Amino acid sequence: MSLDLNQATSEDIRERAAIDRSVRWPVLFFFTSAAAWLAVATLLGAVSGLKLSLPRLWESCPAMNYGRLFPMHMIALVYGWAMQAGLGVMIWLMARLTRNELKNSVTIIVAGHIWNFGVSIAMLAVWFGFGRSMPWLDFPAWIAPILFVGYLMTTLWLVPMFKARRAGEVYISEMFLLGAAVWFPWIFATSVLLVGDDGSAVMSAGTNGWYMANLIFLWFVPIGLASAYYLIPKIAGRPVYSYPLAKIGFWSLIILAPWTGFNRFIGGPFPAWIPAISGAATILLLVSVLATAINFWKTVKGDSKAKLWENSPTLRFTMFGALMFVMYGVLGALSSYFSFSKVLQFSHFVIGLDTLAVYGVFSMMIFGAIYYIVPRVTGCEWPSGKMIRTHFWFSTYGIGTVVLTMLLGGFAQAGQMNQWDSSFILSVEVGNRWVVGRIIAWLLITFSNLGFFYQLALMFFGRGRRTAGATLMPESAH
Amino acid sequence: MRNDLWRLLTGLGIAFGIPWLFLVVGPYFRLTEEAPVMYGAEESSGFMGFPDPNMNRFGESDYGAELYGREGCAYCHTQVIRPTYAGPDMWRVGWGGREGEARETRPGDYAGEGYAYLGYQRIGPDLSNVGTRIADRLKKDESGLTDRQWHHLHLYAPRQIERYSAMPAFQHLYKKVPAAGRESAEALPLKKEFAPEEGYVIVPTPEAEALVDYLLSRRKATPLPAAMRPMVSAGTETATEG
Repeated sequence: MSLDLNQATSEDIRERAAIDRSVRWPVLFFFTSAAAWLAVATLLGAVSGLKLSLPRLWESCPAMNYGRLFPMHMIALVYGWAMQAGLGVMIWLMARLTRNELKNSVTIIVAGHIWNFGVSIAMLAVWFGFGRSMPWLDFPAWIAPILFVGYLMTTLWLVPMFKARRAGEVYISEMFLLGAAVWFPWIFATSVLLVGDDGSAVMSAGTNGWYMANLIFLWFVPIGLASAYYLIPKIAGRPVYSYPLAKIGFWSLIILAPWTGFNRFIGGPFPAWIPAISGAATILLLVSVLATAINFWKTVKGDSKAKLWENSPTLRFTMFGALMFVMYGVLGALSSYFSFSKVLQFSHFVIGLDTLAVYGVFSMMIFGAIYYIVPRVTGCEWPSGKMIRTHFWFSTYGIGTVVLTMLLGGFAQAGQMNQWDSSFILSVEVGNRWVVGRIIAWLLITFSNLGFFYQLALMFFGRGRRTAGATLMPESAH
Repeated sequence: MRNDLWRLLTGLGIAFGIPWLFLVVGPYFRLTEEAPVMYGAEESSGFMGFPDPNMNRFGESDYGAELYGREGCAYCHTQVIRPTYAGPDMWRVGWGGREGEARETRPGDYAGEGYAYLGYQRIGPDLSNVGTRIADRLKKDESGLTDRQWHHLHLYAPRQIERYSAMPAFQHLYKKVPAAGRESAEALPLKKEFAPEEGYVIVPTPEAEALVDYLLSRRKATPLPAAMRPMVSAGTETATEG
């Protein structure tokens, strides 16, 4: 391990500052536009839930039907917020790890505009009735190349950066980043070409499920973990607890994850081995999840008694994301197990699990990264630690509410649904009561992000605090 | 440093490439090119072989599936009947098909559909066999509705059919016309609570007809050719030789 932890020379500091300056505008562009999409996504989450609870609302307006609002919510959350924020973290992290200044910031900002343009028309297309009912791939196929070009123009620069890095061992974060950079085009192109084409209809739907699982495990998770593996040792002030363990986590993830996804349809119209192998891979992924979680925990805890996560926003968000990662791994494994899939498959639990992956795991880790990165690229500190605290707690309440109500609601709904001799409408009534939890959760999350948006805007315009010390989260007032 | 890059990229490529090829691309093309299994001479399913793309056609229109997609129906309705080891779908009346014919869905049931709307959640009931399920239900009750009328009513005013339904109304697929006009022959038999003002009636647009055609085409319990069925016992099956 050669993370030069606390012995930074003045030359190191100057070098880092130069790198941070070189990525300033692309990174801020991605973060701020991602934040704007996050606002749209969280509001749509609440509004779509409201429409589901009160189906007589806006009855004559097709654009306000659940079948259009919900896919829009997912597109805004996945492509608008999560992927865009992830791209910002990728650029900064790769530049820092390989110690390269970014020379193509204009190209990347152009690419960012292309990406945002793609997301915007995808949203409008679904809204005005050109959607396709294909989760996370709802937009018409001709929009995919726009997103594809935007993505490639952004991440292509990571490869020469990696090539030009200094000698020494390859950092685990670099491996995660490089993997994520090359897998997405592969996964995306495969899915866009196969899903909704004229070939096998069931494999087309299955590939859709595979796409969602792979976007989570081979893009969101690697980027979240790359950021965690960089930030946790930095803040804890000691190297990663075990490098071999980190490598076990990495390779087990990337060997197993591409097999997952078809377990969304256990018992579906596929050759029986396909969902079975996906389910088995999801259960085995617990090895990777636990190896990673233990590594983080040991690194943070170390031998000191100081509770760093109480004060550092970055560490708090990152560790919470890691905790949610364990939860996601366990719940995913459970739902791949026949006795549970029998009950939970197609219940509200599904939506809880998908939300947990995108918001609970990835977004929380990315918030941690953003709280670390933005002060460094702008040269000023976050104005208010209190607002960060509010952001953390209300996001936590929100995601907790989603997961809890959708899990319990899923069991309640499915329990009723599986009473095969009672009327189906009972399961609708029992299940939809819990949708109220979803509305409340998205409102909590929307509220939690208000402070985040405000502070991010101040930082964007260079209006943060000008002090030497980092902004911490005062926990005593809570 | 070039070595590190290529070694890592090769590792990443192999780890991803194997499942990509064997789990996704391979099965995709294998299932695409699978030849139909022919029915025996004495079997009367109405088709030459299984699967047959015409199994998923009904009526004159062919864009009902697109409407189903664009309205996001698949977010609340599945079209998959799981075998009994994976869920109790087949025990629900009409879900797996007509009594005695009920079975789990097979890849061939989605032939020619392009994308199988297997679904995301079951906020509403499964639709794999809604084409036969509603017709059978209407035979038993005294509403006097045809199944086409029932579907139109259900799409325009879901709560006339089921008081506590959570389904959105798809009013934009219908239009209001004067009660005396030529078009009013198709008027939906709406209750007062859902009907438009005096002197007007609600009639389906061609889009609504296409969506109902699609719903009526959901019959995924076509009897399988004898060659695909297990032998129950000698004598009870008229299986073709070989």
